[in-house]
Amino acid sequence: MSWVTWRQYRAQAAIAAALLAAFTALILVTGVQVASQWHSALTACTAAHSCGNLANTLFLGSHAVGFLVILTLGVPAVLGILLGAPLLAHEFEAGTSQYAWTQSVTRRRWLVAKTGWLLLAAAAIGGIVSALVTWWSGPDNALQADAFKPGRFDIMGIVPVGYAVFAVALGITAGALLRRTIPAIAVTLAGFIAVRMVVFFWLRSHFMAAVTSYFPINGGFNAGSAWQLSAGYVGANGQPLSLPQSTSGPVLGGVNGNGLPVTALPGQCQAAVGNGPFTPATYHAALSCAQAHGIRGYVTYQPASRYWAFQGIETGIFVLLAAALLAITFAVVLRRDA
Amino acid sequence: MTWVVWRQYRTQGAIAAVLLAALAAAVLVDGFQIASHWHSILVACAGNKACLQQQPTLVNGVVSDLPYLCLIVPVVLGMLWGAPLVAHELESRTSDFAWSQSVTRTHWLAVKTGWLLLAAAACGGLVSALTTWWSGPVNAMTGGAFAPGQFDTQGVVPVGYAVFAMALGIAAGAVARRSLPAIAVVLGGFIGVRLLISGLLRPHYMAAVTTYYHLTTGSFTPPGQAWVFSQGAVSSTGVVVASGWGDLYPALQPVCQRLIGSAPASGKSGSMSAVFSCMQAHGWRGFATYQPAYRYWPFQGIETGIYLLLAAALVAVTFAIVRRRDAL
Repeated sequence: MSWVTWRQYRAQAAIAAALLAAFTALILVTGVQVASQWHSALTACTAAHSCGNLANTLFLGSHAVGFLVILTLGVPAVLGILLGAPLLAHEFEAGTSQYAWTQSVTRRRWLVAKTGWLLLAAAAIGGIVSALVTWWSGPDNALQADAFKPGRFDIMGIVPVGYAVFAVALGITAGALLRRTIPAIAVTLAGFIAVRMVVFFWLRSHFMAAVTSYFPINGGFNAGSAWQLSAGYVGANGQPLSLPQSTSGPVLGGVNGNGLPVTALPGQCQAAVGNGPFTPATYHAALSCAQAHGIRGYVTYQPASRYWAFQGIETGIFVLLAAALLAITFAVVLRRDA
Repeated sequence: MTWVVWRQYRTQGAIAAVLLAALAAAVLVDGFQIASHWHSILVACAGNKACLQQQPTLVNGVVSDLPYLCLIVPVVLGMLWGAPLVAHELESRTSDFAWSQSVTRTHWLAVKTGWLLLAAAACGGLVSALTTWWSGPVNAMTGGAFAPGQFDTQGVVPVGYAVFAMALGIAAGAVARRSLPAIAVVLGGFIGVRLLISGLLRPHYMAAVTTYYHLTTGSFTPPGQAWVFSQGAVSSTGVVVASGWGDLYPALQPVCQRLIGSAPASGKSGSMSAVFSCMQAHGWRGFATYQPAYRYWPFQGIETGIYLLLAAALVAVTFAIVRRRDAL
């Protein structure tokens, strides 16, 4: 059966290999450039003592390659559409399942070999693309400290492998249930986007309980490469202050996220400022008044140390979903009359 | 023929209508919230530019991905409706039936492609109209409507993309005669053409404008929603340093280098003004290269025109192939 699978997919495999080789060459060439640009920028800013604002002034790489790297977000969906969805649906549509399932090879073995090799191929492609992107983005991650942020997290590490396996499994299952290729492709595309969005928007930030750190109003808190979920100010009772959506008045502090508008302070602190802009005296009066009321800044975040734990959990979720989908496919195919 | 097209596509049409209605509802709800948020910021800031820049971003949550969705709608339409149009008829041999009726093959193809191209234009236009309206406050706040990414999801260009993707799908299906390879071609071809045109051609639809200014009189920002290519300073010998001043130090004359060395780290305006007057004295000029904001609609028109022409060429190829091919 492995030989049959290879004969059926050698054209696709050649095309995929050629595309991967081209992508690898591009990433390697530009990646070396990015690394040397990063190295020389570090050397120059160390000499000029200006490394503090490097993140605002330095742009690594080119927009075109950077955009291509973001496009790898779509690789799993493409695998699901082109490899997964037709696997069974096209056999049904072309009537070739009647031939394939009346040979000496049992239907179960036929399905095991085909799905096994395709899922392996999907995992390999997802893994290679992710490895290249992860390596290419190394300097940019160091510069922007945003590897944990949504969008970056999704194209690096091991999660792309989980997405690829899930997308192909979804395609296979959709094809087994719908028995037609084009509807299966549509369902794969919509289902993949929907599941990714649900996991990202509603689940990922809750994989582990978020950490909240407090800091003085005029201070700040550097969480490094953490994934910041929210920031603001709390009163003495620990409840977040309700800040106006926008303000033109004077603000205190303002390091993580937004400053603390004077209009959000208790009445007596506002009275200490009066109307108009701060003077040094009124600024310190307002600051000590706010501190006396126990007002502190807070940041809620997932620490950078949890990056690989989150990668593992997210990959696990998608691999489990893929396993469930495969179980459905086997049940459907084994039950169906040839 | 129109009735046949309607019968064949009514399920797809109904699904598309339901999805578009759901999208419109989500966008309208979110859009009104953003608009009222933006209104309260405008009232609070009362024209103070620094205050506007300090405000947090307007959009977040699920609907903030709307522009990305807008980017993929054309290619999805081309893959699911365009590619199978001819290819699936040939694959399932229904072309034998369809092309041996009293309706001529040209008439059959003209009506089918006509309605599908119209549907693609309508879907693209509707999604674009929603995105354009929804993005209004964000454009006003960031001035980025002309920038790559935003330009591609607003105005009339999404209509051009959708028509092109549909035509590409139909032509690929007619050439490949099989749905799946045609779908792969649509996916690769659409992304490739879009990247080529937006990366290589779009910046040159019209010659970019470069404005020079005195470094000592402060910085120059192109007014309105301009598309800025580069900003920074250029020396009398043609050495260019991009704004942000990351590479400034090695490019400067030693006299001016010393001024940076003595300044406390990074570009505080107070410390940089001495450096700028030194640069001014040594023949440096500030510059900004950009496409001015008033060219937004000409650029939208040119880009849409390019894609419509490409679509027309692809439709012509399809007609040539289908008319030449034997029915059996």
